[in-house]
Amino acid sequence: MKKKVIIVDDSIAVARQLEKIIAESDEFEVLAQARNGAEAIKLYQGKKPDIVCMDMNMPLMDGLTALRTLLALDRSAKVVMITSLGGVGDKYTEALKLGARDVISKPFQPEDVLRVLRAL
Amino acid sequence: MAVKFFGQYLIEKGVVSREGLLKAVALQDSVNLKFGDMARSMGLITDADIDRVHDAQKTKDQHFGEMCLSLGILTKEQMQQVLARQKVTHLYIGEALVKVNAIRDEDLARHLAAFKADQAPYAVEAVAIPKGVPHAYLWEIAADLSYKMFSRVVNLTFRRGACTSITSMDRNDVVVAMQMHGTVEARYVLSVSAGVRDQIARAILKEQDVSKEPREVLVDAVMELMNIACGNIVAKAVQMGYAIEIAPPVIVAAPLAAPASGCALLFPLHTAEERVEVGIFIEKK
Repeated sequence: MKKKVIIVDDSIAVARQLEKIIAESDEFEVLAQARNGAEAIKLYQGKKPDIVCMDMNMPLMDGLTALRTLLALDRSAKVVMITSLGGVGDKYTEALKLGARDVISKPFQPEDVLRVLRAL
Repeated sequence: MAVKFFGQYLIEKGVVSREGLLKAVALQDSVNLKFGDMARSMGLITDADIDRVHDAQKTKDQHFGEMCLSLGILTKEQMQQVLARQKVTHLYIGEALVKVNAIRDEDLARHLAAFKADQAPYAVEAVAIPKGVPHAYLWEIAADLSYKMFSRVVNLTFRRGACTSITSMDRNDVVVAMQMHGTVEARYVLSVSAGVRDQIARAILKEQDVSKEPREVLVDAVMELMNIACGNIVAKAVQMGYAIEIAPPVIVAAPLAAPASGCALLFPLHTAEERVEVGIFIEKK
């Protein structure tokens, strides 16, 4: 059975890229998409996905705040952060400390995303 | 393809685990004391002094040590002693990884050399910035990494134009901006004509043909390129000691004028037919 993924990103372009990578794999499928952290939390509670792929820098509610909230709701949530700030050590380690399973830096290649998702 | 820090590089290469990195970071946090904590551990200041400095920092933008000088809590010599102590005792992430047994001491130099080679393409090349512009090196980083992103991500062929001071930035087919906060207060602006907008969209969406894409998607791709460029600029700036955060990207509809209390820089990228410019609008702090 394919693992169900929620994509959370305010960028249509990035969400499209991720959707394509995931849809073309045999192991994962995109269940739904959200454009900010607040939408992601509602979606997570309703859909109960296996994996959340979430941007860090978003309007309304940023990714780290949403990560903290999601994990407070469900300690076992598997969240992967996707960010252009992966090279900032404090941001990268803050995401891991909060409980993100991994951090993918932008720009990413399909194999980067699939390698991380398969390892979860 | 990005500016990275050593711990991230080692995780991506499968050399260390997430848990190993977190242990090393926790060790760093316990050893690498902030200025105030270090000064207190040296018996130079008290908890009450730290509270006074924090209160004063709410109304004046000054580093902890400088504020201690301003308030007469520390002498200049004492401040230097604290800084020197911080430097001597600083535990780098590689050393911390060895201490928590995430990597072997004998392998550290090899991993560092491989990391250096991986990051060599992101070494900053000189860009001439007009005299008198504050934080000139930061804008060199911004310009050079922007050029590199256009070359490597978009595959755009261009010639770097000379950086000039400007009072305003003209309209273009797409103009987008990101606010930078922290050590500097500035707005990074990316302005592109339609042909380059489409080339960016092809690169970001990884599609051969974007002619049927709605304008919203094409503009979004330009914002994403800017997001990638700014993320890399911030990562490099942080390595140089700056503390900078970025806000989400926005579309700019109105013409942009240089801030009354600051300045603006223009970095043109000359192409055969298209107009591409990076603008930096710097507020005086």
